[in-house]
Amino acid sequence: MKEYSLLKSYQEQPNVWDEMFGADGVRPSYKKFVSAVEDLSISEMNHKDELAKKLFMSQGVTFTVYSSGEGIEKIFPFDIIPRIIKNEEWKLIEAGLKQRLKALNIFLKDIYHLQFIIKDGIIPAQLIYSCPYFLREMMNVDVPFDIYTHISGVDLIRDHDGVFYVLEDNLRTPSGVSYMLENRTITSRIFPDLLPKNNVLSVKDYPDLLFKSLLSLANRQSSDPRVVLLTPGIFNSAYFEHTTLARLMGIELVEGRDLVVENHHVFMKTTKGLKQVDVIYRRVDDEFLDPLVFRPDSALGVPGIYWAYRKGNVAIVNAIGNGVADDKAIYSYVPDMIRYYLNEEPILKNVPTYQLADGDHKKMVFENMHNMVIKRTNGSGGYGMLIGNSATDEQMNEFKIAINEDPRSFIAQPIINLSSTPCYIDGVLQPRRVDLRPFAVYGPEGVDIVPGGLTRVALKEGSLVVNSSQGGGSKDTWVLAEQQGL
Amino acid sequence: MLSRVAETIFWLGRYMERTDGMLQILRTNYISSQDAINDLSWTPLLLTYGELSAEEIRKIERDSPKVLEYLISDRYNGTSVYNNVRQSRENARAIQDHITKEVWQCLNDFYHYMRDPNFEKQFEDGDPVSTMDLLIKQGLLFNGTVKNTMIRDQGYTYLHLGKFLERAILTTDIVRINIRYHNVKFQQRVESPALRYLLHSLLGYEVYMKTYKGNFNPDDVLEMAIHNSYFPHSLVYSLYQLNKYFERLKPESLPESYEEVEYLIGKTMNTVKYSNVEVTNQKMVNNFLQGTRNQLIEIGNCLGKSYFGNT
Repeated sequence: MKEYSLLKSYQEQPNVWDEMFGADGVRPSYKKFVSAVEDLSISEMNHKDELAKKLFMSQGVTFTVYSSGEGIEKIFPFDIIPRIIKNEEWKLIEAGLKQRLKALNIFLKDIYHLQFIIKDGIIPAQLIYSCPYFLREMMNVDVPFDIYTHISGVDLIRDHDGVFYVLEDNLRTPSGVSYMLENRTITSRIFPDLLPKNNVLSVKDYPDLLFKSLLSLANRQSSDPRVVLLTPGIFNSAYFEHTTLARLMGIELVEGRDLVVENHHVFMKTTKGLKQVDVIYRRVDDEFLDPLVFRPDSALGVPGIYWAYRKGNVAIVNAIGNGVADDKAIYSYVPDMIRYYLNEEPILKNVPTYQLADGDHKKMVFENMHNMVIKRTNGSGGYGMLIGNSATDEQMNEFKIAINEDPRSFIAQPIINLSSTPCYIDGVLQPRRVDLRPFAVYGPEGVDIVPGGLTRVALKEGSLVVNSSQGGGSKDTWVLAEQQGL
Repeated sequence: MLSRVAETIFWLGRYMERTDGMLQILRTNYISSQDAINDLSWTPLLLTYGELSAEEIRKIERDSPKVLEYLISDRYNGTSVYNNVRQSRENARAIQDHITKEVWQCLNDFYHYMRDPNFEKQFEDGDPVSTMDLLIKQGLLFNGTVKNTMIRDQGYTYLHLGKFLERAILTTDIVRINIRYHNVKFQQRVESPALRYLLHSLLGYEVYMKTYKGNFNPDDVLEMAIHNSYFPHSLVYSLYQLNKYFERLKPESLPESYEEVEYLIGKTMNTVKYSNVEVTNQKMVNNFLQGTRNQLIEIGNCLGKSYFGNT
């Protein structure tokens, strides 16, 4: 490794793919960036780090943690060193995601209609029907343009050999896209000129893409269909994202109490009476959407909205019932879905996954628990998870008991060594593990993916958990343009 | 515009105007409390802007730094300046897509400025006037940012309806408090420091000096506070503005809702405009101010019912 002043103390980890350093030193895609920052002094770097924090705070890019009755404002930790992806890698990711989303979308249409995939024995019926997010209410509901997965954020990780794997498909209400946009804005402020000099592809088209896609779903013969974003309200941790997206798209941000259903049509309450709503980009989970059909105690949803949807009078984005496709037990069948529906080989690999409802798998996993990650099939946010090599015997035993009681609710995967990337922590560069969540918009014209995404970082040393609820942060993600030849 | 959004932005206007008004009256009161001749009690302001019991008020009523800390930065006093700003920011957060990024950042900065750990200390260690001046500047910055960045749409209109309704209410309050507690003896028809403080509280001292050539008398002070249509804190001016902004809503309103509120604003404007309050009759002045205040509250309630969907 070359002895850069800023980089000299950087310790690579054995058997881990480092995004910035290869066997021959700094990877070509990082060279321009490194040459621009390598001579910066600690005080200059600290100043940039401080500036980034201040900008996040003053722009209100924060989430509120409520403790002892008072809200404490926190920023989502941001690391100033960008993660850089070269163009060929991005092309592979893009093609792989498009293929995967196409298959998942057909799967949802199939599973809520004729269920060929069950009849042909590709996926066991029991697995589908035991999934808590398989919603019987969605059977035979026709959704506009047969699109279910309008907005998705598929999580990708990289193993020690640099190969990308899909870790999970988030097809319900994936969040983080506003951080992708904000991180880019902050980077342009703290590293002037570096973005154009590095030929970084822009991500700012995302709101336009999303808005066009939402607009095209409107069913009503109207020159100006009304699109709204439904938020659970200001106490939701992703509220900042909801307001940002509504503002960038120029659409109304509504709460459940602003909407009312009359005669199977959805209206919003305005100062000039009721106005019909055509498309709802909802950030409220399925179970809270309609108290008459799902959770009766939900105050976040709109009574009657399900029937308006079912009759085709309003489009809801993403579709209701998508949870069955991103269930962690169904996940292991996605490569089979791609082969079955598209007759293609999957471009992006799955992490090998063991269903613990299978006796042989369970036995094997119990014997090798210290090499496994065990997850709840309906868990998210890094909760309900056991990482074998850092778990105590007591934790392992607790999981074994829980698995024996309800094996369907658990899967196991071998521990994948997430790739690492340098982070500026305590005045030096230190390796931290990352994943990547690109955001895809699926409209009637096809799938669009903005070149970039959210790189989540496990900021705790040695940690493999990148979720923000577990001490994770994020980085700006640069996808370089083709002509650079990297 | 969504009813909820209209109400939230209306209250944002009210909270920010209340913040400005409170700071101005607190600043004036503090300065007058430093005047040795005037042994001033903070009781009226503690009663208006606080939640303390009579016993608790008695304990701190003559301790200016404590009172200021309580009325300005106390997080547990629901009506403190801090809580007004916090609530304004909370409202702004809920309707962020209807205000500009600049307005939001301005409020956000104001809030974080007041949350700074060093902020509270300034009342004990520093000069409270400088601290209040800085806060007043933040309020001015907010008003300027709104004027320069926001599109003149319904959101802007509701913000100003809130602002001028609150301002009219504040003016009735400030005059009433001064008459009742600060020995503004209108019937004596002589100059008193209390009259000057009343004008300062309304940000009208300089205007008064220019308009009346320094000729101090209670008739003119009351006349200016109520009837002077060029003085931005007079009742008449506030009501004209309220009416002007409300008229802009006509094309965006249901006819019956519009008529209802229009009637109430018109009625209040006429009551104030054609009032003939005699300064020598303190009871009459009080009744007039209290009656006007009630009418203003009624306008707010009617907006709530007809435009914000409150039942």
